[in-house]
Amino acid sequence: MSLHQIKDLAGLHRHLHAAMQLEHATIPPYLTALYSIKPGSNIEAFDIIRAVAVEEMLHLTLVGNLLNAVGGTPDLTVPGFVATYPAMLPDGEEDFAVNCRKFSPEAIATFLKIERPARVDQGDQGGRTVARRKLPGAIQAGHVGDDTEEHFFSIGEFYKAIERGLDHLYSEIGDSLFCGDPERQIGPEYYYSGGGALIAVTDMASAKAALDLIAEQGAGITGSIFDEDGEIAHYYRFQQLILGRYYQPGDQRDNPTGGVVPVDWDAVFPVKTNARIVDYPVGSDIRLAAENFNRIYASFLARLTHAFQGAPEEFIPAIGDMFHIKELFYQLMRQPIEGNDDSNAAPTFEVNQTPQETS
Amino acid sequence: MNGTEPFAIPPEVAFSTTYDVAIVGSGVSGALIAKTLGANGLKVLVVEAGFGEDVTISDYSKSIERFYSQVSKDNNAPYAHSRNAPMPRDYDAIKLRDGKPNDKGYLVQNGPFEIDSTYSRVLGGTTRHWEAKALRMLPDDFKMQSAFGRGRDWPISYESLSADYARAERELGVSGNVEDQEYGGLTFEDGYVYPMKRMPPSFLDKAIAKDIDGFEIEVGGETFELHVRSTPQARNGIPNPAYDGGKGFVPKGAVSIHQAEMGGRCQGNTNCVPICPVQAKYDARRTLLSAMDSGNVHLLPRTVASRVEVDGTTGQVTGVSCKTYKDKDALDHTIGRLKARIFVLAANAVENARIMLASDLHGSSRLVGRNLMDHAYLLTWGLMPEIVGTGRGPLCTSGIEDIRTGAYRKHHAAVRFSIHNDGWGWATGSPYTDLAELVDTHNLTGRALRNGLIDRVGRQVLLDCMIEVLPEETNRISVDPAYIDQMGNPRPVISFDIPDYTLETASFSRRLTRRIYQRLGAEDHTAYDPLAPGWVTHEGEGFTLRGGNHWAGTHIMGSDARTSVVDAAQRSWDHKNLYLAGAGSMPSIGTANTTLTLAALCLRTADAIITEFAAGKNASQMSNASQSVTA
Repeated sequence: MSLHQIKDLAGLHRHLHAAMQLEHATIPPYLTALYSIKPGSNIEAFDIIRAVAVEEMLHLTLVGNLLNAVGGTPDLTVPGFVATYPAMLPDGEEDFAVNCRKFSPEAIATFLKIERPARVDQGDQGGRTVARRKLPGAIQAGHVGDDTEEHFFSIGEFYKAIERGLDHLYSEIGDSLFCGDPERQIGPEYYYSGGGALIAVTDMASAKAALDLIAEQGAGITGSIFDEDGEIAHYYRFQQLILGRYYQPGDQRDNPTGGVVPVDWDAVFPVKTNARIVDYPVGSDIRLAAENFNRIYASFLARLTHAFQGAPEEFIPAIGDMFHIKELFYQLMRQPIEGNDDSNAAPTFEVNQTPQETS
Repeated sequence: MNGTEPFAIPPEVAFSTTYDVAIVGSGVSGALIAKTLGANGLKVLVVEAGFGEDVTISDYSKSIERFYSQVSKDNNAPYAHSRNAPMPRDYDAIKLRDGKPNDKGYLVQNGPFEIDSTYSRVLGGTTRHWEAKALRMLPDDFKMQSAFGRGRDWPISYESLSADYARAERELGVSGNVEDQEYGGLTFEDGYVYPMKRMPPSFLDKAIAKDIDGFEIEVGGETFELHVRSTPQARNGIPNPAYDGGKGFVPKGAVSIHQAEMGGRCQGNTNCVPICPVQAKYDARRTLLSAMDSGNVHLLPRTVASRVEVDGTTGQVTGVSCKTYKDKDALDHTIGRLKARIFVLAANAVENARIMLASDLHGSSRLVGRNLMDHAYLLTWGLMPEIVGTGRGPLCTSGIEDIRTGAYRKHHAAVRFSIHNDGWGWATGSPYTDLAELVDTHNLTGRALRNGLIDRVGRQVLLDCMIEVLPEETNRISVDPAYIDQMGNPRPVISFDIPDYTLETASFSRRLTRRIYQRLGAEDHTAYDPLAPGWVTHEGEGFTLRGGNHWAGTHIMGSDARTSVVDAAQRSWDHKNLYLAGAGSMPSIGTANTTLTLAALCLRTADAIITEFAAGKNASQMSNASQSVTA
């Protein structure tokens, strides 16, 4: 059995907070790679990364629904919610850190690690977890004790642990586990992208359906390329960029046989990896723009928090916010950093940081 | 569609197979029929004159880029021109002089009126440039002769078509709300909701509603109260959880044979015509690709139907001769023959008539090609007193529908009005022309130019007046050996005039829109150029009327072989195994864009074909050749 079984409601809430952080932690790296692609080039790659990023937003919302359903309170504004890059994922994979970097083979290699399938031999046991000492780059909600945090090999195993915790608590307290206000659920009308849909979580069946969707769209629990709806898992979507072909039904893993996926690694803004505000000269336009980005992003997260805390209709203006954020991305990424001929600017995502991170 | 490659089948395979049904045209009519038949196990071939591109995201992006880079942003600007399957272009329409036809474009315009309407010969047909308005026709529109002593009655009623409208709204994915459609006798099934909620009204809609809602006008002795109402449209919006008895609706998104982008909701790019950058707008590729997913539907692109072959004794169609090309423009092509038990021409009202007439098939009623209809659009435009956010949202989110029917139709044509979120673009070429004017005439630069553009463009309002045209036998498509295309196929020759019945409503609409602009406190900037194509005069006043791309009537539907071309199922009276599908069958077009209605008709046609096969009249097996083919 795992060392860190979820034994109580507080533990479930903490894991779901971590899951929201985890889903969000993928978004700055995905968007940085996405918008570093020069408009009009790398159409296939743009589309693949965008599709995954949009589904991570779906997963974030599904976890928010689950947390609301079990009486928790989603909050995307708590200090440390936004990771500091390079970041260790909040579910605790030890062997890689996630960077915000331009569209590149290195970026895709990291994306593949983020979305890697669960180890089949570990899945039954709720994932391999070990304790490790707290690291400065890791995210707060992943901490389970004063000095330790838990580790999973993959996101899939992390969710498996949540599911086991859910089962455990349900066996103890039954339907009263789902004590949240149903009015807070974000329904299917607020999202669609063809792949999956928002599920309002009100009972065990809908909770399981939400977790299944996250797992299927990510790595696929069993590592299969297509899920039962015929949708291709994120891991294999990204792999198409490295292998240069689309997967089609009937293909074997690592051997896609569909149409060609052309990639032009040079048609990319050479943005600085893990840019920080301090990288931009004091008083420069770039610095002002980057600070403005962080302010806008913080207010966007505040709007989402408001939406999760009982105002679902706020998801509609949040769509406008996302267009604004895209424009601000391009505004920065088109600009070379003064005194640094090799690198263009990029958003820094230094938003609502913990005192430790800002120090 | 999860990716079947190759996407199209080779011509030699298509031509050596005997299908249950062969369909000419991959537009909304052909695709809907193919999908319904394929789902019922019939083996279907769809033939498309266009190149058959745009089944991947990157191909689609190329069309968008082509549109962005074109100087003339006409309806077919996103699509590469092809000498082998040429398309009408808006800019081909010129003012006719001295009774000489204009044969500069693909269409030969005989006049006296010049239509600037077009259609698209590409995969998915003209839905590749349509705006996606999906209004139902009104009950009165189906009985023009009996209700108003004008035009023709349909052999079917609104009530009997209502369920098929609902099916079409599902297939096309219509956003709308029933509450806004309660006018003009429209009825819906109890509890019916559209698949998706209405497109949110634009700021401009609300600004206009403030001054127009409740405005009472008198037309033909009847008093009407005007209201701004949302326009149903086949554009992805917010799915309605109450749809289908609470089952909800799952919108279909972008089309791709590779799984990439999975769909888009309207983002308000105001670029609906000709091409939606995020594929929120329905086009027939969605239906076609899901038809092909059944495994029963094959696609043969780059193939132009040239002649329908008929058995002189039985009148049965024995085949359709086709020409298949490899290169868009090169001269060479190969000739083949479609073999099937049932044939469907679904190439739109102009091309269906052209193919029939090129085959010397005028119909026993001699009405093939006649009764050509299209909507006549009178455009009016002005500047609102305040900035109204022009350029946000789909082209139109609302309209004024209250006088779509009334006793006045005994005397003049019906009309509806659309409120345009895209400013004066359709009428003047704005915003590009505004920029040129502010720079060249007003000598503005820098900040003054920016502010000038915001002030000019941001206050623009355009009301289009969509006016009914009734069927008249002298308005027609014909063919003439003097006009052939590169492949040797005759080009469509158009003879058209705007009837007084319609012109009277043009005058009325200009008067009414003047009053509307007065109520809005807007400056009326409407002006018509006597040298422009579409210039007409009526009782001392001149207008330019624009085409609506709603070609209809050329194989008109009726209850009698002597006075119509097809029956209520769109089956040819003269050729029992031939269906002529699409707006060409419509005996009236009222004030609704034709697509939703023709989609409903085509679903009925598919039902009729399925019934026919089920009854065993055409019971048959695929030939051996076809069984070895997988789509």
